Amino acid sequence: MDFGLTDEQQLLLESLDELLERECPESYIADLDLHHKPPTTFRKAMHEAGFGSLGFPEEYGGTPVDAVTLVLLATRVARQGFNNGYGLELLQAMDIIEFGNEEQKAEVLGLLANGEVPFALGFTEPGAGSDNSAMTTTAVHHDGMVTFNGTKTLITNALQSKYLLLMAKNPGVEDPRKAISMYLVPMDAPGVTTNQLDKILWHISDSCEIFLDDVTLPESCLVGVKGNGFKQLMRNFEMERLVIASQCLGLAECAFEDAAEYAAQRVQFGKPIGQFQLIQQKLTDMAIKIENMRNFVFKTAWMLDQGVPLKSQGALCKRYCAMAAFEVADEAMQIFGGVGVTVGTRVSRLWRDIRGHRFGGGTDEIMVHIAGRQIVKDHS
Amino acid sequence: MKIVVAYKWAPNPQDADVRPDGTVDLSRAKAAVSEYDPVAFELARRLADATAGEVIGLSVGAASIDTPLARKAALSRGLDRLVLVADDALADADGTRLAAVLAAAVRAIGDVDVVLAGDSSIDVAAGQVPLTLAGELGWLGLASVSRVEAADGGLVVERDLPGGTTVLAVAGPVVLAATADAVVPKVAGMKDILAAAKKPTEVLALDGLDVPAPGATLTTLSTAKPGGGDRQATVIDGADPAAAAAQLVGALRQAGAL
Repeated sequence: MDFGLTDEQQLLLESLDELLERECPESYIADLDLHHKPPTTFRKAMHEAGFGSLGFPEEYGGTPVDAVTLVLLATRVARQGFNNGYGLELLQAMDIIEFGNEEQKAEVLGLLANGEVPFALGFTEPGAGSDNSAMTTTAVHHDGMVTFNGTKTLITNALQSKYLLLMAKNPGVEDPRKAISMYLVPMDAPGVTTNQLDKILWHISDSCEIFLDDVTLPESCLVGVKGNGFKQLMRNFEMERLVIASQCLGLAECAFEDAAEYAAQRVQFGKPIGQFQLIQQKLTDMAIKIENMRNFVFKTAWMLDQGVPLKSQGALCKRYCAMAAFEVADEAMQIFGGVGVTVGTRVSRLWRDIRGHRFGGGTDEIMVHIAGRQIVKDHS
Repeated sequence: MKIVVAYKWAPNPQDADVRPDGTVDLSRAKAAVSEYDPVAFELARRLADATAGEVIGLSVGAASIDTPLARKAALSRGLDRLVLVADDALADADGTRLAAVLAAAVRAIGDVDVVLAGDSSIDVAAGQVPLTLAGELGWLGLASVSRVEAADGGLVVERDLPGGTTVLAVAGPVVLAATADAVVPKVAGMKDILAAAKKPTEVLALDGLDVPAPGATLTTLSTAKPGGGDRQATVIDGADPAAAAAQLVGALRQAGAL
């Protein structure tokens, strides 16, 4: 079994290191976090260097790349202490590249090239999140037009996005699996209003409630096939879980490094606290979790590349990595003691941001539901 | 315009191990294109694009400078092709010897208009190879180059010198050593890296080059870390400027500086 990197992967990581050093130092990330700003300049630099279109088909200016390489890059950006800095926007674009019309593709790819977030995913509702069948936002088609009504909530990046990738239900279709369609709705369309939600984490991404009040658009805003919305969205779920898991890994590595360095420097009772066995036990268990996460993430990526059916692998991977990363960050914070909760200490940001991955992109509990159901099915 | 970028495949100092006696162990350091050379790659690419020219990478050193990774690392940075002289006879060669081999390789490439290089290497940092190379070639050599552009069949070269900025019109073949901040080099992307594997590399045999025998050889007697200086770290409160000035004068007198 070869755990080494290819020449191409090694060179790509070296390029990424150069870019991170230049465009994404800790001071930049801390400033974004403090002032709740999106990482526009970094995204633009990533796109200009070709990282923003990795994985896209060549006809759309991209460079096809395997999942292992994407995961290596996503982990590396996260190891910088940068949450949601790379990877997820690629998945967003893939939704449109795969299912959008030519106009939609040109618009979304153009926005990405400028470092902008092309769209927010309008999925979660006050009464529907993990239970998508309870979705109540409606899309009524009439005379070549479609009218939307409903409320979405906890929509990430809504304020910085030009569009909403809206999931809405045809009220005339009973089967929830066939009722949901996907639409690209301009955020400035008449009838769309937002209410920003204050939150304690993921400050580089805003979160909003979105109200759709008789929003009427031409039917050309439909993405893909009418009634296939959820199926289309599901296409990238496995990759999304993997990217989230790789971010958890990178953020946990960052927290671990900070904690290990602090333990080597912080002197109590006449010696660095890293020389006390209770601290060594924490660092050892953190290192074991990180190693497990790394193996889990890269094996899952390898399975994707080999075309091995993932079944519940993606859910297992996200379930483990989100929790393990949070445990690592929590222990890192414990090693820092009171210093760890002060604003400006990186570990406090990592602790907050990793916590969000235990529900973002599917809760721990839903991951258990998906994996557990599959395990029982495999043994029945 | 035919442009050669002379670069070094050097150990990355970030992987260096500093021993307790202050000496540096680079034996476990991963090699990479020396940190100051990508600036030369970028200047060369821009100059070639402006003149419909060609950029040829050139590196000389031990056999270890010729690996698939080393080739791709250089070729992904805007080169059209690569020329290497990789021979263990050049392991630990001093700057004068390397410059002589580089000069022989430049002559072998033929019809070269410009050689661009970084100001110095990341591992040795003596900064003497580019200008020694110019001397070996009998060409004009200019260090501290912050800008280079094509103009009227020649070049306009800007130099950042301690006394100020100088702009020169340069005709004829020239060796230019670029400052580390002359330009922000483009980061190699996946497309560049994949394309690098398809670009040609020519390996020149050291024996086949016209390299004059060294007039003198160097033997390193010892190495030591740079002196840190005995800093006093005296902090003077500047709230009262007059008192602070008096305090500063007193401190300087006490230190024997005045």
